[in-house]
Formats: sequence, C-alpha cells, structure tokens
Amino acid sequence: MGIASGFGFLERTTGWPVSFSLVEVSPRSTYARVLYVGLLNTIFVGLMTLVFATLLGLVLALFRVSNNVLMNLVGTTYVEIFRNVPVILQVFFWYAILTHLPGVKDAYELGGVIFLSSRGLALPSFAYSGMDILILISTALILALLYRFLSKNFGRHISALVPVVIFLLVAICLLYLGKPPDEALISIPELRGLRFKGGLSIKPEFTALLIGLVLFGAAYIGEIIRGGLLSVDKGKLEAASALGLSNLQVNRFVRIPLAFRAMLPSLANQYVWLMKGTTVGIAIGFPDYFAVISTSINQSGQTLELLGLLMVGFLLVNYSIGLLMNLINDRIKLKGRN
Amino acid sequence: MNKFISNLIVAAALTVSGTTIVQSADEGTLGKIKERDSLLCTGHNGSYLGFAEVDDKGAWQGFDVEFCRALATAILGSPEKVQFVPISWAQRFPSIQSGDIDVIIKVTGWTMTRDTELGLQFSRPYFIGPFYTMAKTELGAKSISDLEGGVFCVNAGTTVERVLADYMETNGIEYESLSFEKGEELRAALYAGRCDAIAGFGPFLSSTRINAPDPDSLTIIGDVIKLEPEGIVVRQGDDALLDVVNWMVSALLLAEENGITQANVDDVRNNPPSPTVERLLGVTPGAGTRLGLNDDWAYNVIKAVGNYGEIYDRTIGESSRYKLPRGLNNLWTNGGLLYPLVHD
Repeated sequence: MGIASGFGFLERTTGWPVSFSLVEVSPRSTYARVLYVGLLNTIFVGLMTLVFATLLGLVLALFRVSNNVLMNLVGTTYVEIFRNVPVILQVFFWYAILTHLPGVKDAYELGGVIFLSSRGLALPSFAYSGMDILILISTALILALLYRFLSKNFGRHISALVPVVIFLLVAICLLYLGKPPDEALISIPELRGLRFKGGLSIKPEFTALLIGLVLFGAAYIGEIIRGGLLSVDKGKLEAASALGLSNLQVNRFVRIPLAFRAMLPSLANQYVWLMKGTTVGIAIGFPDYFAVISTSINQSGQTLELLGLLMVGFLLVNYSIGLLMNLINDRIKLKGRN
Repeated sequence: MNKFISNLIVAAALTVSGTTIVQSADEGTLGKIKERDSLLCTGHNGSYLGFAEVDDKGAWQGFDVEFCRALATAILGSPEKVQFVPISWAQRFPSIQSGDIDVIIKVTGWTMTRDTELGLQFSRPYFIGPFYTMAKTELGAKSISDLEGGVFCVNAGTTVERVLADYMETNGIEYESLSFEKGEELRAALYAGRCDAIAGFGPFLSSTRINAPDPDSLTIIGDVIKLEPEGIVVRQGDDALLDVVNWMVSALLLAEENGITQANVDDVRNNPPSPTVERLLGVTPGAGTRLGLNDDWAYNVIKAVGNYGEIYDRTIGESSRYKLPRGLNNLWTNGGLLYPLVHD
C-alpha cells in the first residue's frame, strides 16, 4: 500500500513532549526513548499498584475473617462496592476529584513547603539525580543481602542498625558530592507564575490512576487472601495451639505460610491483571506504555510495528511477573506431590 | 505455442481494457464506492464541535460532515448515500489503510510524514486552520509568553502537539504539556482547571469556548502559533477518487465565486451566465465523464449542500452557534486564501 515499514522510525525524533516521565525526555527524544519512557511509566505505576493493593488487600482480608461484627461489615461493604464498579469509572472519579481541587494560587498548603492543588501535590525533595537514586536503591539491596548472608552463615549477631547507618552515610555523601555547588540540598517548591518550581511534584493523572487501581485491586486481592486464610485446615490451627504456640505464633508459623501456598496461583493472575489494568491511564492523560504507543501510531503511522512492540512490552512485563510468582510457588509448594 | 499466443492476446486485451478503465475511472476505491452505492466517510468518536458532531436527532452535522455528503452526492447523486464511521484521531490512518473508510475528511493537516510514508494522498487544502491557544481568562494573559510555566492541554496524536512544542521551544517558553485521547476528556480537564490553556485549531477553540459552562472564563489569545492547511485524504494510488475530491472542492468554490447557491441553482442552470457555469452545472457535456461521474454532479452537489460559503456559514459561520468569521477561509476575491481551479 506504499506505507513505509520497518523499525527505522524508532531512531527519528518525535517532536512531541511526554507529560510524565521518570527519566529525561523532550520533543528531541527518539521514538525508542519515548517508548522506553512509556514502558517505565507502566512498570512504575503497576508495581506501586501491586504493593499498595496487596497491603490494603491484606487488611481487608483480616477484617473479613475477624469475629468483630463492625470490622466484618466494613470489609464486606468495601469489597462489594469497589469490586462491582468498573475500574475505568473509579479512575475517572478520582481524577475528577483531584482536578477539582483549587488552582495553584489558592493551593492548600502545609507549613509553606507542601502544596496541594489541581496541579497535584508539590513536596520538598532532596537534590538527588536519577542516577543517585539508582545507586541508593542498589546500595540498599546489597546491604540487605549482605546482612542476611553474614548473620545467617557466620552466626554472628550484627545489630540491624549497622546497615542502616552505612546506608545513611552513603546517602549523605551522594547528596553532597553529586550536585552542583550552588544548588540547595533540599529543594522546596515555591509558587512562580503558573506553577510550583522546585521540589517534587506528583501529578494528578498518576495519583488518580494509582488510587483507582489500588482500591479496585485491593477488593479482589482481599478476597483472594481471605480465601487463602479460610482454606487452612482448622485441625492444624488447633494442633498448633495445643503445642503451646500463642495466637500470634499460630498465625506467623502455621496459618499464613499455609494460606500463602493456597492463594499464590490466583494472586499471580490478579497481579498480571492489574498490570494490564494500567492501560486505563490513557483515558485520563497518563502517558503509560499504551498511551505512548497510541500517540506514536498517530504521529509516525507505523501501526503494525508499534502494535507489535505494545504486545511484546506487555508480554515481557507480565511474563516476568508470572515467572517470579512461579519461582516462589515452586519454593513453597508441597514437595513430592505434583 | 498456441498457449503463448492466447496469453499474448489476453495480455493485450488487459492492457487495452486497463486504459479504458482508467479513463472511466471505475477501478480502485471510486469503483468500489459506486458498487457499494454508499460512501464510507469519517465521523468522530464523540464530537469535534462544528466539524463532526451528532445533533439531538442523532444525525451527523458539521463542516466535515457536509463535505462527506457533498462527495457522496458527487459520486452517487444523493447526500443520503454516505455512512459515517465514528473514528478517533489516532485511528483515521489505520482505518483508511484497512478499508474501513474510503476517504478521510477530518481536518487532517498536510504533513510530510503523512504524505510520504503513510501511503496517503492529500487533496488541495479545503480548509486553512490557524492554531491558537485559549487560556483561562482569570490568568489575564495577553500573549502566549504570559503563560510561561503553565499547563497546556492538547489532543493526543494531532499535529497540535508538535506545532506547540516547536513554537514554545523557538520562543524559549517553558511549559508543561498534557495530552488527552478524547475531546470530551480534554474539555473536562480544561473546565476543571487542570490546564491553564489548551492549544488547537481556531474553530475548535471557539466551539469549545461556546460550550463551556461559562464562556467568559476562557479567552482566545491572539498569537497565531502556526497556519495549517487541511486536506482530504485518500489512499495512495486512488488517483481517480482524488481527482473527484479536488474538483468537488473546486466546484464548491467556483459556485460561490459565481453566486450560485442551493436556492438559485435551478434558475442559474436554466439561464447560465457563462460557458464555465454551463459546463459546471452539466448544461453542456464534459464536466462529469472525465471524472467518471454524471455530467450534472456539481449541480447535484450544490442542490444538496450548497456552495462552499453556504456550508461554512451553516456549520461553523454566522448562521451557526459558533459564529466563526471566514477569515483566511474566504475566497481570494474577499481577502481569503481559497480559489477555484480552472473548469475548462
């Protein structure tokens, strides 16, 4: 049909900006870069959703299995409401609420450093670059692994304070070393013209999407966890109590491990589902992978190539989640039975 | 040997019939439209006010919609023989390539990428769209530079995104861009105050303003960001259809230039003032057959939808609720940029 095909367009500059990004991006960025930004956004909002939805889900599950009538009622009402309203409506709802906050000039403020307006939440932030944050995250991971390795294999008791202090030292060093000398250590947002300059600004598109997905996902995850908890054989719990374990110990050593095993497969499904749910971001102007691909299709016209990349992107992300969950499942499943 | 000769004959016959087909212009999309007896034209997902919107009776209205009707009338003789396919901005190019629609009449800017790489062909511009910004009145901005640091909302995947980015960079204005897939969401974000301003096509901005809960809360800023010529799009290789489109646009302009309107077209046909008008309205033969149409196609079009000025006036101009001045979209004789071609 005379349409140019192939992936050559990926090296061309896009000419359009992206409104939310974890890394540097501008209209001079290439399509490849912009797609990478979109994928990062999807992974970022997706992972945050999984973490918060799981935490909230756990609370809901505990509410629902408890003997307290009030907690039961709250848990049940929550699940029935949030599970039965389509996720896109919930996201629209939260977005409408967030964008109807007062404008920047009349923003709610807290101590002159935190501002909440229809432009989002402006917070003070440390003057770290993206690279610094990456270094910090890897330092934290290495320290945690090292601490566990040392205390487990050598039986030496090291105070948990040691790695924390080391981490703080690294953080402070980075703060002093990694910045231009004339820049302040802490950047505080201040109103300049039509926007807050400096600090960290959390955009309402991101927040609305996150809140919507978390509240929706938590209702499902709560039910999965509740199912897991209820699936534990009563006899085993009674046996544990009979051995003299306290209630807390019964939960920690018997109930939760057994429940975890039962709920893991459906939890994996739910995680993959939530990750795909991030695509509703396109409806409220959040540039997730899908939204970025959609705009790129329109600007470059490379429909098939970009749809291919869209599928590959989600396949990679979701397959990784599935793989990770399967690995955990393999570690904890009953041995000798398949 | 016999087979070879028969092959030769078949090949020769194909060549000969091929040329006649081109002359009668019945191959390609134009032929398909006639066979289907219906034109598949672009509607909109939701409404693009003034250009493609659904009225309270459920019928499509607007400037682009009238051009769809005009094209259907030129080819098939009736403005009813058109189906509007609701399509988003982003979907228009994939849709025309997959054959969901025959033609894109959806204020589509003529850009180099689209023309060279997407397998598309553009008609001569049927509309000149200036890009402006519209800001919240309360900001008191007189020019775009007064909006330094503001949030600008745009339709995702349109030329506006790029044009605005270029303008801001050229003029060293810092801004934040937010793009929405649907016009409804864009408008909601503007009214709610998520954006300080929106950028877009002049007509789109004024229609958005009129539909706002409080039109006075929005002000269109005088700075023109860019001028964009809008064309009607067909698939690459649909030369016959492109010819029809180009000459239809020209006929609408020629009719306006000669004062031929929906109301007086019958009188003019009975009493044509010049040989050009005679040919245009099919009084003397030749205007249609060369395009693969009936000779009275232009008469039918004007009878059905009126001339260019009437379409403009009815959908986005003085008689519509949008009241857009003709500006650059006037005939060259009235200070605009539009002109008919030579109908010889």
